[in-house]
Amino acid sequence: MKTGIVFDIKEFAVFDGPGIRTTVFMKGCPLRCQWCHNPEGLSPKPQLMVSKAACIHCGACQKACPHPDRCAACGACIPYCRGGLRKICGVSWLDSDLAHRLIKDRDVYTASGGGVTFSGGEPLMQWEFVSSVIDHLPGIHTAIETSGYAPDAVFEDAIQRCDLILMDWKVSDPALHRRYTGVDQAPIRRHLKMLSQSDTPFYLRMPIIPGVNDNKEHFETAAQLVAKAKNLVRVDILPYQRAAGAKYGMVGKTYQPDFPEDKPPAIFTESFDQLNIPYQVFK
Amino acid sequence: MTDRIRAMKDFQWERKHHAARIQLDRNMKLPYRDANLPDYTRTALRLKLALDMESPFLFPNELIAFTRTVPALPLIFDEKEWADIKAAHFIHEMGNISNLSPDYGTIIQSGLLVLKEQLTGSEYHKAIAASIDAVLSLTARYEAAARENGNVALADVLKKVPAHGASSFREALQSLRILHYAMWCEGDYHNTLGRFDQYMLPYLEKDLQSGAETEESAFELLEAFFLSCNRDSDLYPGMQQGDNGQSMVLGGMTVDGKDGFNLLSKMCLKASGELRLIDPKINLRVSKDTPLWVYEMGTQLTKLGLGFPQYENDDIAIPALMKLGYAEEDARNYAMAACWEFIIPARGMEIPNIGALPFANSVDSVIREKLLSCENMEMLKAAIKEDIFARVKETLAERKNLYFIPSPYLSLFFDGCLKNEKDISLGNKYNNWGLHGTGVAAAADMLAAVEHTVFQGETAKETLLSAMEKNFEGYAPLQDRLKNHCPKMGNDDDRADRYASWLLSTFADAVNGHKNERGGIVRAGTGSAMYYIFHANELGATADGREKGVPLPANYAPSLNIRLNGPVSLIKSFTKPDLARTINGGPLTIEFSESVFTQAESITKVAQLVQLFIQLGGHQLQLNTVNRDRLLDAQAHPENYRNLIVRVWGWSGYFVELDKCYQDHIIRRAELLV
Repeated sequence: MKTGIVFDIKEFAVFDGPGIRTTVFMKGCPLRCQWCHNPEGLSPKPQLMVSKAACIHCGACQKACPHPDRCAACGACIPYCRGGLRKICGVSWLDSDLAHRLIKDRDVYTASGGGVTFSGGEPLMQWEFVSSVIDHLPGIHTAIETSGYAPDAVFEDAIQRCDLILMDWKVSDPALHRRYTGVDQAPIRRHLKMLSQSDTPFYLRMPIIPGVNDNKEHFETAAQLVAKAKNLVRVDILPYQRAAGAKYGMVGKTYQPDFPEDKPPAIFTESFDQLNIPYQVFK
Repeated sequence: MTDRIRAMKDFQWERKHHAARIQLDRNMKLPYRDANLPDYTRTALRLKLALDMESPFLFPNELIAFTRTVPALPLIFDEKEWADIKAAHFIHEMGNISNLSPDYGTIIQSGLLVLKEQLTGSEYHKAIAASIDAVLSLTARYEAAARENGNVALADVLKKVPAHGASSFREALQSLRILHYAMWCEGDYHNTLGRFDQYMLPYLEKDLQSGAETEESAFELLEAFFLSCNRDSDLYPGMQQGDNGQSMVLGGMTVDGKDGFNLLSKMCLKASGELRLIDPKINLRVSKDTPLWVYEMGTQLTKLGLGFPQYENDDIAIPALMKLGYAEEDARNYAMAACWEFIIPARGMEIPNIGALPFANSVDSVIREKLLSCENMEMLKAAIKEDIFARVKETLAERKNLYFIPSPYLSLFFDGCLKNEKDISLGNKYNNWGLHGTGVAAAADMLAAVEHTVFQGETAKETLLSAMEKNFEGYAPLQDRLKNHCPKMGNDDDRADRYASWLLSTFADAVNGHKNERGGIVRAGTGSAMYYIFHANELGATADGREKGVPLPANYAPSLNIRLNGPVSLIKSFTKPDLARTINGGPLTIEFSESVFTQAESITKVAQLVQLFIQLGGHQLQLNTVNRDRLLDAQAHPENYRNLIVRVWGWSGYFVELDKCYQDHIIRRAELLV
């Protein structure tokens, strides 16, 4: 019996792999990408989320609060918000219960060529739990959506157990990588190589951020890294969306990108064309 | 789209044809208002007056003619006469024939003159003859105008149809346009285009075979016909603009048991996607054998936000209709009424929307009145069953001694009316009635909430009732429990879904055995029409944690104020009830965010979702693609959104033309989207 913290379960997640899929969002991430659009996925602990835009400041939540000095994410205030603007983000699940929740739609996954995707946050941060859930899902197509940042053994195990890997390639320049994601690029590069030499099908996903990685060299590096991978399904090019900052206020954070977020990022697909690498540019 | 069609669409969109519209002279002499004349003769004379007042209006390069220039019809009866009729009869809606599926195919093929030959000299037949003459007289004036305009091709078509049978695709389309146009002028409304791809296909195939048309030229004609359906749609009566019943049914099993999805079905889907107009609204009949690519074609329209196609499941509908007593060939031939009621072309004078059972109001009233005396769920259910039976009985008891304004012209399109001299308003082979069932998900949620709080010993009955009475003021934790932590229909949770199954089958039991005064049966349904607005206004706070004033869902859909797992669970929940028993109609509605479609693969995925619904035994499904921010902006700046199309309850309309309460409801629905 293992437990994990999940911050969302989304049915019919159309961007997370083939067919009709349900995506489980695991809470907690070792990276701090400046453009992250799921800030509620960063902390591994449950936390209170508040939609402030519609708040009428009636004060009912404060009256109900047993921990006025410091939020303990106890949720006591939630029922008192008439606008329904408060929720606890992050629910503890038992592996078998989560598997039960997912397996009920086995027929749909099978009929559509879909399955289950674990995303986050960083699903490899709770790999013990995720792998145990996967073990409870025999015959169901499973995928993980990962930054690739994890201990080698974990990453290797993930490649073995999953039917599909959606792996990010965020920033090619190691110094910039550390600056914009907060972590060392070396293990990610190592894992991408490991993945490219494995038999597990994978998508390479490239968030393109204006002023950070929307340059030719980045696309060329990415193309080189996967050029020889027979198991590459496709490269997904994901241009930065202005809505990324929408949820920061809800978790008490401020969105402060130091890149020009109004500028549409430049896209260079020539190197993919030249090397016959399949890719798709998202809108 | 050809340049010709584009120009025509622009002309129409800029409403240039409105310049030809004239106001009805309120002091005009109305010779048919003669107490000595039978009502059907009055209808015929009024049709003649209406058509005689029309003057031909031709679009530049007209392909399919006939445009209304007189926006209104004078009434058949004066105020006193109508008041007397209303005092003595039950009048359904406006008193005109509506929501039927006429048999256009036979008349397109034979022409009107052949029918005239079958007329005797009886008064009723004289009324029919006068109607036919009026239609042909306006056609002759259009023909002359076309000839004068130098549009010889059009003039030649009008010389032939609808007097004579059509022998080409163009003639058949023109004939249909005139036949349908004249129905509006008779005062009938919401009479649908029916199985267009079935009765028009022979003309298309013949022309393609002979080389008279290519697929491209035939497609242009089809688009011209579709455009013509939108010219006058702002004039048609309905609850709201767009609610006009100009729907067509594509695909589905043919009368002889074959798959009816054909070349013309495909062309219609394509034309609808190119033109992006509210008419004709598309219904797509499918079954477990329908290939994915057909759903994908339909999904291309969904992506555009048109709110159609609406899907009907032959596997459920045909056996269900047969079980209700419809002959196999008629059940196979079903079409859709204006919104989503299953009706039979050529042989049905059915009233599928004669009333509605408000599930939410029934369950709510029983909880308020009887909960204190109920010791368990079984007792509560027994009281609800009694209430549902009583409501059905009462509703039907009020519907006695019906009167419809006769429609001798429309009667031509129904089996046996001419020969038997029996106007369609008096009935036909099928005379069944239908009752909508509104708010079933909210009602199921209420029952699940009562079970999981009151009958699990967690909440006192008095506490729940008093919380509802006070609109949950001072009962925040209880409301939170009811609203956010009790089982909900739509989450694939048997603890709630089983109540919906039970409510629907109880409704079916309640109508079972009722005969209406025309010898027909009464059918139960899952639709709402505009009742969802009325019924919600009558409710206070409810046991599912819903506050007073929160609307009920339209049609067969989950409550609006709850958190849903997603579309897969939604479909599983809503396919659990035995929907064959509620085959009067009423679709599950799923709203998608536009962003779902930013990836090409999404077309396939959404199509697979529709296929899932059909394979799990759903009866009817309708999907919307919306963008909440855009709806809000359209409400604030209607001038920028004249062509924003949304689905309302059983039909699509222009968002900015809707009353605010309907706009608000659509925005609210958009908050639940996938």
